[in-house]
Formats: sequence, structure tokens, C-alpha cells
Amino acid sequence: MKREFCLWVFVAMIGIFLSPTRSFGMQEEHKKSAGFEHVHALSMDAAGQTLFLGAHTGLFRSEDGGRFWKKVALPAKRSHLDVMAVTPHPREPKTIYVGTHEAGLLKSTDGGTTWREINNGLGGLDVHGLAIDPNDGKLHVAVREKGEGIYRSANEGGKWTRVDDGPGGEVKVLSSVNISTGMGGIFLYAGTAEGLQRNPDCF
Amino acid sequence: MGGLPANRTVNGFAVDPQNPRVMYVAMRDGLYKSTDADETWKRIGGELKNLAAVAINPKKPNEVYVATMDGKIYMSADAGMKWKKQQ
Repeated sequence: MKREFCLWVFVAMIGIFLSPTRSFGMQEEHKKSAGFEHVHALSMDAAGQTLFLGAHTGLFRSEDGGRFWKKVALPAKRSHLDVMAVTPHPREPKTIYVGTHEAGLLKSTDGGTTWREINNGLGGLDVHGLAIDPNDGKLHVAVREKGEGIYRSANEGGKWTRVDDGPGGEVKVLSSVNISTGMGGIFLYAGTAEGLQRNPDCF
Repeated sequence: MGGLPANRTVNGFAVDPQNPRVMYVAMRDGLYKSTDADETWKRIGGELKNLAAVAINPKKPNEVYVATMDGKIYMSADAGMKWKKQQ
């Protein structure tokens, strides 16, 4: 954790602390209210209407505050995808980004009806966190294992560039927080196996 | 920046988009909240444990949701003071 420009700073007690290819049709299947098997992510769309839940068994959506869930079909050659991150766009309610354990990043611009892969430039496909800058829409993702590190996209996922080694410890969640660093940027927070960490968004 | 259990895995993190000084952290140990931009943290949510994720309704930031690792959903309408199971 020593990349060129910025230094990851531990919070917790010790410190402080995402080639478009194909489109796919959505098939939703009803899901019982529980039994997701290892939940990884929970988020609500910009309209404040739909909850999305990412789990080992895939992506789910709820329109009633989490009482009833439907499974959202995602494009994959595999039978299922382990959904590690779900990040709705902060201002565009129909735009949703999903990070997966096996297939990298997926993006929907129609509220989850169709999806496309946005992995151009990523060094690996095990995505553990996805953050959107609320000011300019810039994206950051945390990739694990092959090609591990933090990647950035300034064109809504069209192209990714590795910008940092990332925080220590397995990343569980990544979030851009609209608090000024005093250096012209904001903070990028990471929930990790080693606690909460943050870094100025100045890669 | 104190108040979070040391060296413990942070599974979930959510920030109030209208007031980013308000943050929530979801851990196995429970739910933690900061109202001063990560300076101090307090445990909230009573008996909530084994949390995998936390989310905020961007239109109504006092509406907060948590998910347990096995998929139980709880919701608070008052920024984390009182919670009810959704299923």
C-alpha cells in the first residue's frame, strides 16, 4: 500500500479510515423474503424506491422496503453470479452498477432490465467495491486477486485505469464521501478486513 | 475517530448524501454511527448483530436499512434509533 501519489490511512482504532459487449434481457424470478446466502451489499436507487441486495446467490430487488424480493437475472455464462457490490448512480435512478466475484462489472441504464459488461482496462474480474463520486460521476472500483488494486473510470465505465494498490486487507465495500480533503478532492472510504480506511481521492 | 472496534472487518458502509458527516458502519459486532465525519462512532441498533450491509434512502436519509449475513432485513425510520424487521 504504497503507491505513488497517495497514502492509505487506517481509521478504525489504528487509523482513519468499478469493452461494453452485450445486452441481455431481464428475467425476474420470485424469491422468498429470506435465504439469500451470504449477503454482500445493500443499496437504494436515487429515486428512493428500489432496494438492491447483492449476495452469493445473485442480485435481488425489492420495491416494498425489503419485505418481498425478486431475483434479477444478470448476464453470465455461469449459472449464477456472486454479487459483491451494488451501486446505484446518485442522480440517475435508472443507472445501476454491479460488481461481481467472477465476471467483473455490469451496468444497467434502464433500471435493471438489461445489462452490459464494462470491464475494459480492468486487470481482473473479482470486484469487491464500487464507488461513484457524487460531484462528477467518476467511478472507482476495488479489484481482488488477479490485477488487484483500485481502478478509476472518468467515462462511466467505458475505460478503466489502475491508480493505486488499494488499502490493506480485503475490501468489502468502497464509497466516495463528499467531504473535501482541502486538496481539491473528496475522500474515498473502504470497509476492509482490517477496519474502516480512507484516502484522499487524489490518485 | 474513535469508537469502532479495532481490527474488525467492516462489511458495510453508508453515508447520508444530504449530510455526509453522517455515516454508518455494519459489522459482525453490530451497527455503528458517526455524526461528525468519522471523528467519533457510537454503537446503535440495540441487538442488531452479524450485519453484512447498510443502506440509506437518498430521498429520506433518516430511513436506514441493514441486512444480516443470512439475509434478514431491518429498517429504521428515525436514523437508527428504532428498528423493525421487514420480513
